[in-house]
Amino acid sequence: MRFKATIQNIHTFTKFTASLASLGPVAWVRLDEHEVRFTIIPEQGTQVWAVLSIDTIFEHYTIQSAAANVINLEVPLIPLHRALKSALKATSASIRLTKKDNLPFLVLTITTNTFTHNALSSTITGFGGGGGPHAQSDSTHDTRNDSYDFHGPTPSHDFGPSGRERETVVTQDIPIRVLGQASVEGIHEPRCREPDVHILLPPLMQLKSISDRFTKLALTSHDGGTGGGGGRNAAASGLGPRLEIAANMHGCLKLSIRTDAMNISSVWTGLSNPELDAGQIEGGEEGIAVHPSTRMKELGDAQGKSEEGWAVCRIDGRDWGKVMSVGRLGGRVIACFCHEHALILYVYLSNDEEGGDESVLTVSESLPVSTEKMS
Amino acid sequence: MVSLNFTLSPESSVKIHDALLCLAKFSESVSIEARQDKALLSVFKGRIADARGRDSAIDRCEVSVQERPDEVECRLVVKMVHNQGVTKTYKLTYESVEVMHALFDKNMAQNRWKIQAGCLKEFIEYFGPKTEQLDIYSEDGRVTFMSFTEKITDGKNILKHPLQTAVSASTADFEEFSAQEKLHIIISVKDFKAIVTHADNLRADMSACYSQPTRPLQFSYGGEGMHCEFTLMTAGDYRGTPAPAPSHAVASRSISRAQSTASARTDNHPAPVEMPPPSESGSRASTRRNKVPGSARPPASSNLQQPQSDPEPLFVPLEEEDRRWDPVVYRDEEETLGWTLARTTITSLTTPSATQLQQLDLQPTTVQRV
Repeated sequence: MRFKATIQNIHTFTKFTASLASLGPVAWVRLDEHEVRFTIIPEQGTQVWAVLSIDTIFEHYTIQSAAANVINLEVPLIPLHRALKSALKATSASIRLTKKDNLPFLVLTITTNTFTHNALSSTITGFGGGGGPHAQSDSTHDTRNDSYDFHGPTPSHDFGPSGRERETVVTQDIPIRVLGQASVEGIHEPRCREPDVHILLPPLMQLKSISDRFTKLALTSHDGGTGGGGGRNAAASGLGPRLEIAANMHGCLKLSIRTDAMNISSVWTGLSNPELDAGQIEGGEEGIAVHPSTRMKELGDAQGKSEEGWAVCRIDGRDWGKVMSVGRLGGRVIACFCHEHALILYVYLSNDEEGGDESVLTVSESLPVSTEKMS
Repeated sequence: MVSLNFTLSPESSVKIHDALLCLAKFSESVSIEARQDKALLSVFKGRIADARGRDSAIDRCEVSVQERPDEVECRLVVKMVHNQGVTKTYKLTYESVEVMHALFDKNMAQNRWKIQAGCLKEFIEYFGPKTEQLDIYSEDGRVTFMSFTEKITDGKNILKHPLQTAVSASTADFEEFSAQEKLHIIISVKDFKAIVTHADNLRADMSACYSQPTRPLQFSYGGEGMHCEFTLMTAGDYRGTPAPAPSHAVASRSISRAQSTASARTDNHPAPVEMPPPSESGSRASTRRNKVPGSARPPASSNLQQPQSDPEPLFVPLEEEDRRWDPVVYRDEEETLGWTLARTTITSLTTPSATQLQQLDLQPTTVQRV
């Protein structure tokens, strides 16, 4: 079993990992010759299914295994993220699968070249520190210049404000588990019925700020701080505060909280509902004709005034806050609403090259049955 | 009758604050005058910003010792005299004790190196926040600093094993380097981080000298009127040639340090403490780490204002922005509506809080308007 690659787009990979790390402690990673798949399936809460084309994050990619060149790993996300972060200023970074003391690791090797300003900074300190230190720094300074002549590759560096290039090599060993074929067979993309409404979300930072604010308010009123008794149901059922998120097929998105004491909503209008691609829908054009979203188009309006035409999901405010963390990737996000059932977000990371494969991060929030949902 | 009075300039106060911040990572008390380190820290805490700020910058800091036979408790009196005419007086209790000093024989310590603290600062930022041990060794012209944690072999927990990080640099990046190849010397990551952070604040060159594993290692650095020495116990092993074993000269009188015993020059000698062992809060280190009893880390030290309270140091400014995407941590009982903000602000201004004051045995602050 061999896996080795140079990492490119370290920022994308780091942000991607950061987003995943908000949603779960470990991911199942499946590597094959074409793509890398990250799956997070917690016992409850948000599931993630993310597929990246190899060249989104890797180049010089080598993979070999007895199982048709497929490798399945269980990877802890916080250490992975932490390791990647140390590569943000790297000159080069590579990743490989290895064993140490019979334990498997993903090893990240990071080379960073830093231009040091030894002499410069010490001279400055010398000036700041007055007479004594100054004299001292001068002598240090001289010594340093000597050492350049001795070790330095560039003898032209013989003046104070010059430096020398330092090469630091960092290796980060991320503990992992290698998964057998049998243990990953059951993993499949989250399945759900055809959505009632699909809509392109507004900028996620905007959505995150508002939903965080709402969640805070719900928590406050739940504590009895302002409203008295609000959100008691949620507390009783052991769930966090519920946000209600709804969208229609006329470009409207509505985010609300409801407690005994208050009812607040934010409505976005003028968003776009992407057209379905007949090639992607079962039954082609006919499939589109009977698609739930086609029926939903007949209901509601573009101002969001009507009570009709909304597909509604209730989501856990804190969970949602974590999901919003994917915003750091800056991708296009399409939300698919299955009324009173599930909310699925598709995050599209567009590659730099035109026509390149799009990588898709799917985040789905299925709801546990709650009293609210049944009422 | 003990008598001690001295006055610190704002700059020196900041320096002392920085030094105490560093020392607080090792022990609860500072030994020179055997006062409560934490309490002392809280005197300086919060003032540091003032010293750099405009309005409430301190003009000077006066320190005196009250030790009279007719008083039950000894008091260390710290007066912060502010530019605005406000004087804050803190009275700390202390205990007069015999100060212990770590023995370190520099002549025995033939392995030596010296490097800009700034370089080491860069290295420690790569280390995972939960690692415990630091292995330092050189091989083929490169020096490696490896942070690791003793293995958890339990298969289920393997993924919880902290990141193991090795940072290597060329010996040419050192100001001086003369140490035996493949000699693995192991100290605590936390201690190393605390020392490096302080040395970096002073923009100093940091020197290390040591003989062999299980014998003490000493870090030293200085500048701008400060001289700091840290003597740490080490572990480790030789994976290369056996080290020349010096005679066990424990009784050696050649303690390398000029004493700072009960001297009034506390500003210049903050560092020497009693043998600071590489102690770990988790105490998971094996016995061969040579723990010294009573070395437990103060549990409250993480509450203290400190530059490295952030477990994930920044690598690039960009990350600051990226952090906005992190999920909010909601504190349920915390009110969040606008008008409670004012109270929050006050709380942060009046650090240390009342409870802390009690804990630290600080006397009620007298605030005088002159």
